Amino acid sequence: MEATFHNLILGFSTVFTPANILYSLVGCLIGTMVGVLPGVGPLAGISMLLPTTFGLDTTSAIILLAGIYYGAMYGGSTTSILMRIPGEAASVMTCIDGYAMARKGRAGPALAIAAIGSYIAGTLSVVGLMFLAPPLAKFALGFGPPEYFCLLVCGLVVLSYMTGGSIVKNLAMIVFGLMVGMIGIDQMSGYFRFSYGIVALGDGVGLVPVAVGLFGISEILVTAGSPEIREVLKPRLRDLIPSKQEFKDSIAPIGRGTVLGFLIGIIPGSAHIISTFVSYAVERRISKHPERFGQGAIEGVAGPEAANNAASEGALVPLLALGVPTGPVPAVLLAALMVHGITPGPLFIQEQPVVFWGLIASMYVGNMVLLLLNLPMVGLFVNLLRVPYRILYPTILLFCVLGVYAVNSSLVDVGIMSIMGVLGYLLRKMDFETAPMVLGVVLAPIIEFSFRQSLAMSAGDYSIFIQRPIAAFFLVIALIMILLSLKPLFIKKRDWRERLTEAQKDA
Amino acid sequence: MGAVSEKREGYNMTIDRLSGAFLVLLGLFVVWERRVLPLGTTSHPGPGYVPLLLAILLIIFGAILIVRGKGARPLRSVSWSEAPHAVAILGCCIFVTLFMETIGYRLTLLVVLGFLFGVMERIKLWLTLALTVGFAFGSFWLFDTLLRVPLPRGGWGF
Repeated sequence: MEATFHNLILGFSTVFTPANILYSLVGCLIGTMVGVLPGVGPLAGISMLLPTTFGLDTTSAIILLAGIYYGAMYGGSTTSILMRIPGEAASVMTCIDGYAMARKGRAGPALAIAAIGSYIAGTLSVVGLMFLAPPLAKFALGFGPPEYFCLLVCGLVVLSYMTGGSIVKNLAMIVFGLMVGMIGIDQMSGYFRFSYGIVALGDGVGLVPVAVGLFGISEILVTAGSPEIREVLKPRLRDLIPSKQEFKDSIAPIGRGTVLGFLIGIIPGSAHIISTFVSYAVERRISKHPERFGQGAIEGVAGPEAANNAASEGALVPLLALGVPTGPVPAVLLAALMVHGITPGPLFIQEQPVVFWGLIASMYVGNMVLLLLNLPMVGLFVNLLRVPYRILYPTILLFCVLGVYAVNSSLVDVGIMSIMGVLGYLLRKMDFETAPMVLGVVLAPIIEFSFRQSLAMSAGDYSIFIQRPIAAFFLVIALIMILLSLKPLFIKKRDWRERLTEAQKDA
Repeated sequence: MGAVSEKREGYNMTIDRLSGAFLVLLGLFVVWERRVLPLGTTSHPGPGYVPLLLAILLIIFGAILIVRGKGARPLRSVSWSEAPHAVAILGCCIFVTLFMETIGYRLTLLVVLGFLFGVMERIKLWLTLALTVGFAFGSFWLFDTLLRVPLPRGGWGF
């Protein structure tokens, strides 16, 4: 406990420089814009803006990127409330009651409660992250290659189950991603694999071109040319302060949303989306007046918004402690950290305390910045929403090209981004999820390395994966998930996965 | 007549069947391409070991999609209304890939943005010019000059 506080002071001493506070401010502001703009999710946003951090020192770069991450998570609520368009999938539930409130002239309190809920959830989740990540990292120091392999397999299977859509398609996407991740020089033998003489592919296919292509470019390809019919409700900013009753009604949902969001956020998959579903369902179930939900109940905004932000910070626990991203956005954050010479994992917290605790402290600052900055600036964000998409998408394309090129100064990467863009476009047409593929690409080298090392350790005996208790535990969880996914074959009932798929399509 | 249309209905291609077939073909392609990589042994797996396992998995998943794909969405229900725009944007990406290092960042962006704003979106000429020049030169100044991210200058140093 004492050590934790000592480290936190170290973190704050790192963050409290004028430059770092400025980066936190800029990160939150850009992140909110990224979240507000339809078609630019946090993933494409972080990837596009990664080059802007190249000239910064590691801590400042991480602070800026983290600001973009949780700013984007917050920004989605603005479009949900004012336009009934979720800026990103996690804001789908906010649309229901947030927009209903806006139609009744209560957009201000809905935005304020979303901001306050996000702030409280974000701050409390950082406390959870602060206390949970270091012991988890310590525990993971005892993992050998078989444990790591089984952990990753388990993570990928859980991801395919929790992502929504067809589990077979999700598993196929993971395998496809792993295959793409095999391109380049084999770490153990030095063989060139599937690179067809292209020297630039020796280092493999980068995560940034894959992520920007699959998420950024494919989104542009799908949405460009579609008719623009946007009705933006203007919030009455004088009425931003919620009433006493609205405050009272929001406190418990924010608390429940925070706990639910943080715990669900640690699980791989569309955790931040699922957490908003669960939070909304819980609030409606325990409400004395469930009929108010859908008509502008403040609890329907407070709970999901808190859960969404708590989940996005919960996702940082496995990323920082184990080096295992649980979704595409943490995967891009991982890539961004690696560009700056940081490899998250069990040794990260021990070896880079300044960066880790600086990041933790920056989150406290960032959450405060989001609260103070975003409410007064809501008018600016509303104006941003009025920029026609036919002007917006060429600009987004420019930043995609710029972001991808600048990582390695390589046009091969721009080519890969284009190919991935077309692939993502076709995959969306065929109802495939692209998030599992991104995770496959990023985890391919670790998963292959630990698999081959495990077999070398056991002289080719596959039972090594079930003889070691931790490895066997992870495999059992993976097996349970696969069995659960077979349930629809026997029970014909609409389950939460179908509702999640619908929500993702709506977004 | 009824039997014919019924038969035609029966052969309806669904998105799952088509994508399953692609996955199987991709798996077979990887199996074929992998033959130049040593497989190794189970105790010392070579560089071709894991790709082969993955290719087999992909073929299995593709086969499941084909077998269970009858009830999926028909292929003809997929809308391609945005395809002309998509092709144009893709063309721009290819242009950037092929020419950015030869003619430089600013000139490439002038061409691409000018085409998208002026030709594809038919935005007024003065606005097209302002946006194209502003974004091409502004982004170069921001990234290359201010943030020191090197961007290609092309043969003429421009």
